[in-house]
Amino acid sequence: MTRGEIVIEEQLCKGCGLCAKFCARGCIAPPKDKLSPQGYLLPIFANPEKCNACGVCGWMCPDFAITVYKYIEIEEAAAT
Amino acid sequence: MRAEDVVKQVVCAPPKLKLPGPHHHCPGCHYGIILRLLCEVIEELGIEGQAIGITGGGCSARWVAYLDVDMAGGIHGPGVAIATAIKRIYPETIVFTIQGDGELGAIGLGSFMAALLRGEKLTTIYLNNACYGTTGGQMAPTTLLGMRTTTTPQGRDPRTTGFPFHGAELAASMRGTAYSGRVSVHTPANRQRAKKALRAAFQRQIEGVGYTLVEFLSPCPPNWQLSPSDCLTFIEEKMIAEYPLGEFKNVAQIDY
Repeated sequence: MTRGEIVIEEQLCKGCGLCAKFCARGCIAPPKDKLSPQGYLLPIFANPEKCNACGVCGWMCPDFAITVYKYIEIEEAAAT
Repeated sequence: MRAEDVVKQVVCAPPKLKLPGPHHHCPGCHYGIILRLLCEVIEELGIEGQAIGITGGGCSARWVAYLDVDMAGGIHGPGVAIATAIKRIYPETIVFTIQGDGELGAIGLGSFMAALLRGEKLTTIYLNNACYGTTGGQMAPTTLLGMRTTTTPQGRDPRTTGFPFHGAELAASMRGTAYSGRVSVHTPANRQRAKKALRAAFQRQIEGVGYTLVEFLSPCPPNWQLSPSDCLTFIEEKMIAEYPLGEFKNVAQIDY
């Protein structure tokens, strides 16, 4: 299965929770405890093992705060 | 799979046309998603060098500072008239206007109608959030019937304040219009349809067919007094019931 990870830019996130709402695999926990430098509650990338790098959280983030990475093994990357 | 055997490929990153830094939209507002769509469509069509944008007043006014294309902005109302002048002086440019419902439906209705009647070769991105968001949520022409705003505290009554304004249908009824559609970005599937519609509208302008308009439904969480996730339900149940989504007109040629 494809694996991936997301990086949430804490300076940009406003804690609306749309990424957690639209993650079909439940990887992102809705904003609860963690605060950003601006004082917004931040979502947490809670279940990294479930992420398949679909990119929907990045599309639906209104604040351009999410970057999605897909893991590619080196042999596969060299072949393509 | 060990960590050192893996390279990271970027699947989704902020578009190049978006200048770095935060923007001023409220948490849960969909204007950021629409801004991203606009950046992606301009990048994919390769018209960064030709595009000129005009923003209106209101929440979309500061998009001049977020997009890395030639922009002019902050004019509440006659954005379409200014865009007409630019397009007629420089016919090779791709001119788009970003305007809210209060502009196209109220103060700028005259300029909008005139541009529609002349069939100007522009693209208008019409952002419909059913209230005047910047100034505190007063009633706009697109406010739903029965919806409470600061100027209609008992709910909008059509006997005194009229009926909601349907911009996309109005544009579709004009002979000079090449593309008219209404889209929403409240789910990932709708977001992809919205991107397709926006690209089709720009494509019609590049072909030089006629006036193109894409209406976007967007929430206004502080003025609707709903949470970002309740806003999605409100759009799904109330907004789409009043403003049906779809493509109302898409023609490849206009007979003169």
